[in-house]
Amino acid sequence: MNQTPQPPCEADVLSQATSGEYKYGFTSDIDTDIIPAGLSEDVIRLISKKKGEPEWLLDFRLQAYRYWLTLEPPTWAHLKIPAIDYQAISYYAAPKDSERPKSLDEVDPALIDTFNRLGIPLEEQKQLSGMAVDAVMDSVSVRTTHRERLAEMGIIFCSFSEAVREYPDLVRKYLGKVVSYRDNFYAALNSAVFSDGSFVYIPKGVRCPMELSTYFRINASGTGQFERTLIVADDDAYVSYLEGCTAPMRDENQLHAAIVEIIVEDRAEVKYSTVQNWYAGDAEGRGGVYNFVTKRGLCRGDYSKLSWTQVETGSAITWKYPSCILAGEGAVGEFYSVAVTNKMQQADTGTKMIHIGSNTRSTIVSKGISAGHSQNSYRGLVKVAPQAEGVRNYTQCDSLLLSPTCGAHTFPVIEVANSSAVVEHEATTSKISEDQIFYCNQRGIPTEEAVGLIVNGYAKEVMNKLPMEFAVEAQKLLEITLEGSVG
Amino acid sequence: MNAIEALGQYLVLVQSNPGLFRDDPPLLARLRQEALGRLPGEIESYRADKTIPAECRPDTMYAPDYGINLQHLEMTADVASAFRCGVPNLNCYLAVVVGDVVHFTDSMLKAPEGLEVYSLRNVPEKYLDMAAYIGRRGDSLNALLLSDGIYIRVAEGYEIDKPIQIVNIFNGSTPMLTPRRVIVDARPMSAVKVLLCDHSQSPDTPHLASQVVNVNAAEGAHVEIYDIEEAAPATRRRWQLIAEQASNSELTVSSAYLHGGVSANEYIIDVNGDGCTTNLSGLAICTGQQVVSNKVTLRHHGQHCTSRQLFKNAVFDQAHGAFGGRVIVEEEACHTDAAQTNRNILASPDARMDASPQLEIYCDEVKASHGATTGQLDERALFYMQSRGIPRDEARRMLTQAFMTDVIDNIGYEVLRQRLHVLVEKRLNGDAASCSTCATACHSNTTEQ
Repeated sequence: MNQTPQPPCEADVLSQATSGEYKYGFTSDIDTDIIPAGLSEDVIRLISKKKGEPEWLLDFRLQAYRYWLTLEPPTWAHLKIPAIDYQAISYYAAPKDSERPKSLDEVDPALIDTFNRLGIPLEEQKQLSGMAVDAVMDSVSVRTTHRERLAEMGIIFCSFSEAVREYPDLVRKYLGKVVSYRDNFYAALNSAVFSDGSFVYIPKGVRCPMELSTYFRINASGTGQFERTLIVADDDAYVSYLEGCTAPMRDENQLHAAIVEIIVEDRAEVKYSTVQNWYAGDAEGRGGVYNFVTKRGLCRGDYSKLSWTQVETGSAITWKYPSCILAGEGAVGEFYSVAVTNKMQQADTGTKMIHIGSNTRSTIVSKGISAGHSQNSYRGLVKVAPQAEGVRNYTQCDSLLLSPTCGAHTFPVIEVANSSAVVEHEATTSKISEDQIFYCNQRGIPTEEAVGLIVNGYAKEVMNKLPMEFAVEAQKLLEITLEGSVG
Repeated sequence: MNAIEALGQYLVLVQSNPGLFRDDPPLLARLRQEALGRLPGEIESYRADKTIPAECRPDTMYAPDYGINLQHLEMTADVASAFRCGVPNLNCYLAVVVGDVVHFTDSMLKAPEGLEVYSLRNVPEKYLDMAAYIGRRGDSLNALLLSDGIYIRVAEGYEIDKPIQIVNIFNGSTPMLTPRRVIVDARPMSAVKVLLCDHSQSPDTPHLASQVVNVNAAEGAHVEIYDIEEAAPATRRRWQLIAEQASNSELTVSSAYLHGGVSANEYIIDVNGDGCTTNLSGLAICTGQQVVSNKVTLRHHGQHCTSRQLFKNAVFDQAHGAFGGRVIVEEEACHTDAAQTNRNILASPDARMDASPQLEIYCDEVKASHGATTGQLDERALFYMQSRGIPRDEARRMLTQAFMTDVIDNIGYEVLRQRLHVLVEKRLNGDAASCSTCATACHSNTTEQ
């Protein structure tokens, strides 16, 4: 009997998986205008002055800063966060050319090159994919496309600082209404020092004809990025918003404390998709981005809908809980998440569904994949207020373990104060079984590919929720993160 | 007075009165001494615990002023024959704890070979170290104020034929704090069943029962602990079960909460050996203003272990139920099979239920799952029963009882299982759950010595 060649054993595949290098690791040399490191009221006044902000916004920042001083960083998450010296961070970095370019030709060629290396050619995307891209490079928007077409429909899609200048009433009306500066440590910090971000307003009855997209990017060395995104969908409006990010490789840890606020009015729908691929640090856990994000949507309109979809593959530490406050009658909240951790990554992510309105519904599907020495946690809250009749929630969180040294944890909290609610939660934790691998091997699929196949199938339920354009990139990121064809 | 001061008062009391516990038996003195060292840190940690309802947090529970029976005075009670619990025909070795004073009945005094039962005040010298070791964990305030308790030792290879029943009774007109402690040492290849019943004969007197059950299951030992609470609305109960399992041991813990005020139950299980089986289950029927919390911390260290948890709550009126389950599978605990289930029925508009089933997995060779649901009785089932002439209220009772069935069926002890079916039915019918033949019926005050 002939000896059949042995497929590579699992250990080999696993070791390959951890050897994948970060493909987007580079730093582009663009002159940046950096405020010296440190945080004080003077720094905040300086940021505000550089951005030419009105008095009320400076007051908002200062209030937030004073409140932040009274806070301690949260320690409840299942994360080991090294002490962060907030005085060693520079809180403002803007491309030096402060004049906004009028056309693509005026954009710094090095910057365009950066995007090209990321595989996001602005020009091409503008023409081919029909997306309006608000590219944020180190905190200040440098390029916005498709503005005119959107403007015709009354849609506002611009950088945050621009919105402050041009639509101060709108910004003032909605800023901090969903995520107050008193919300948590990182939200207070962001409220004090936020540099820029995106502002989206969809007027009544308008269906945004294209996916709105922003690529975030941390670039200048030693700078934190404090994005602030505000999306307002007025009655009967619809918008799908994409957020994706890749960050260049660097050795010191970087802090990213963003805030996303979404307001959904009557019968409006917002779909917010994220592909997150900040630099995760090297195999020993050196470097990598700290991603401490507060994302929350307020479905205050009746029959409004908010859907979060996220694919989290990057960051050394992720602390992120996109949430829905379902206040309107019949509002719907959804959360679909794939979180992949490898090497020394730590992720503590999940969602909160706060049911306040009657007949509100929520669905949570969370898929965690842990490899290497990483720790991956799902943390979620489903809360049903006493007055909320007929609430329905379904939660499913699954964990897949790909190495004997990683960890997968589930911390759901369910609080029900109304007897008409039906709340379900189920969770499983498992590894890829020998049988599955053997079955694939038997049919000529090498172990490496088999694992990739199984992981992709496992994550498919969430991947399907991503917009077409994003799904491809997300798939690619999954592969890169578990490189060597996954383990 | 804030909570820290409220708890700190006990610490100050003990520290500033060295002669407080006169003639302190050696075991109690040791436990007390250790508790003194642990307590300040523990008080801090109480405050941080946000996972259980506020009423069930130790700092809230210990805060009111209670009397403590420091001098270990006897309390009035009819010890001799009256104390048969709500489990008739239950042939058992019986001990009765009135307040915090332990009385052994004749049946216990005639314990068979292999079974030794002592008051914690009289634990023989040769068992002192072991008893102190097993009893080292648990609420420090319990150990600090302890004046009596029960030590059960089952010798290697012995299987005890009848269950050991411990009936806890509170009877008094002044608010009291009664620390109670049971230490179970099951030696290798032994088997023992322990049934704990809580009663209050003074339904209107505030009473805090601080109860700790320490279990050591040695290699191959089978330990079953059953706990039935039939107290009164003024009763506050803090109940801890702390167990350590060695290889191939089997632990079954089942609790039934039928009557009471606030009941904070905590299960801390360490599965240290390989090939262990752990079975935890509990049912709670909460009405009125009752608050019931079950919190499980199950830590798997050993390989090839199986653990099952099943907790069910039916919450009526303004009652509040809570379940917090935490299963930890350590890196070395390969081939663990852990499942955790929590099912709840909210039966009235003001009822409230919190659930937090948690998994912490550090090993990839595992099968772990948890599920939690909160909802109502099936409308279609109710309709079906009504269409066949069963009144709606009756149908609801029948369905709620059916809902509890699998928890009761988990109980490996036939007589108790049958009895619990009846008790649950009575409870749902609004009757006092206690058995009519039982002299410790909660509302009778006929106990005099």
